[in-house]
Amino acid sequence: MTLAELLTPGRLLAGAVTASAISLWLLLPRGRESGTARWLGTLLGIAALAGLACAGRRLGSLGEEGVFLTVSLVAVVSGAATVLTRSPVYSAIWFAMCLLGVAGVLLVLGAQFLGVATIVVYAGAILVMFLFVLMLAQPAGLAPYDRVSNEPFLSAVTAAVLLGLLTLSIGRLSAEPVSAAPVSAAPIAAVSADPLAENHVARLGAELFGRHLVSVEAAGVLLLVALVGAIAVVSRGETAGREGSR
Amino acid sequence: MMPAVQLATLAVIADGPAIDGLTANGLIVGAILFALGLAGILTRRNLIVMFLCAELMLQGISVSLVAWSRHHGDWGGQMLVIFVLTVAACEAAIALVLVLGAFARTGRLDSQAWQSLREDNLPRVVDHALPSIDTAAAKWPKLTPAGVLPETDEDELLEREHV
Repeated sequence: MTLAELLTPGRLLAGAVTASAISLWLLLPRGRESGTARWLGTLLGIAALAGLACAGRRLGSLGEEGVFLTVSLVAVVSGAATVLTRSPVYSAIWFAMCLLGVAGVLLVLGAQFLGVATIVVYAGAILVMFLFVLMLAQPAGLAPYDRVSNEPFLSAVTAAVLLGLLTLSIGRLSAEPVSAAPVSAAPIAAVSADPLAENHVARLGAELFGRHLVSVEAAGVLLLVALVGAIAVVSRGETAGREGSR
Repeated sequence: MMPAVQLATLAVIADGPAIDGLTANGLIVGAILFALGLAGILTRRNLIVMFLCAELMLQGISVSLVAWSRHHGDWGGQMLVIFVLTVAACEAAIALVLVLGAFARTGRLDSQAWQSLREDNLPRVVDHALPSIDTAAAKWPKLTPAGVLPETDEDELLEREHV
């Protein structure tokens, strides 16, 4: 029995899901630091990523595959580090790295404006706000509640099962007719045939301010309400505190 | 060429819409990001880290939406991502104000500090094996001392008392 026969897609996916569950469980903060658990978790995580990468479909050219693999690896690995790092400041910085990867994925998928907007709005504004609050509200050293987690095993299993089900259904979606030509033939033409690629940003703007104009207005009102609400919460909290201390 | 491992052979019903490779891979990346964020928001106890995990889930959703938008050749998915960005900005502003308020009341960013708000039938979370000593010592870079020690201003030290 050769390796290719042994690694049926179903077994590969099951293995990847199991490995990701165990690796998440091992790597989540659980109070005591253990070097072996960390190494084992990292190895299993790499194995899970490799399995999931095999579950993905082959793209047209080697360069395209390499670019997509690179940006998605950046996104996924730093996303995992965001969840698993003990220190919240490092967590936020890993999240910035993850945003860079996500922006790369969006660019590869053909959403140029959204890739740039993700970096500008998320990494430039929202994340800086997070870091401000972290600096305002950071106790000295690593707090005890950063070093333990709620139900690490059940949560890891939940996340891994969800991931497995989603990947399974995506695999089903990509089902081609059973008698189809070899898979490597089709995608080359399909990649360049993105109907949204031509004159992208101008058409996106026309769509946004044409068909979705009312939604844009609603989003503007939402932003204003959030601004006023945030200020109201702060000022009411302050007056309440002052009255309470009297 | 190596026989590409295809999930397509898993299909019980093979009549789903055929999507191209890039779309499928984008959907898988979105699923991974969403699952990671889910695991984080269920396990982590720091309010801000929980929030970052929610943002991670939003990122996964955005990637999936863009992939579907590409698949259908329709702008709807990308429009939704723009509004997701807007709502995320609002949500971050409001939630960070609330987190700061919670920190001002309890002095902790711990979500379990608010467990008195739980339902009656839920058990109280007690940290039994909480390590008292921070075992992972921070590794700071060593800087060579330069210049003279500045004079300390006692009034200034009083101002810093609460930090």
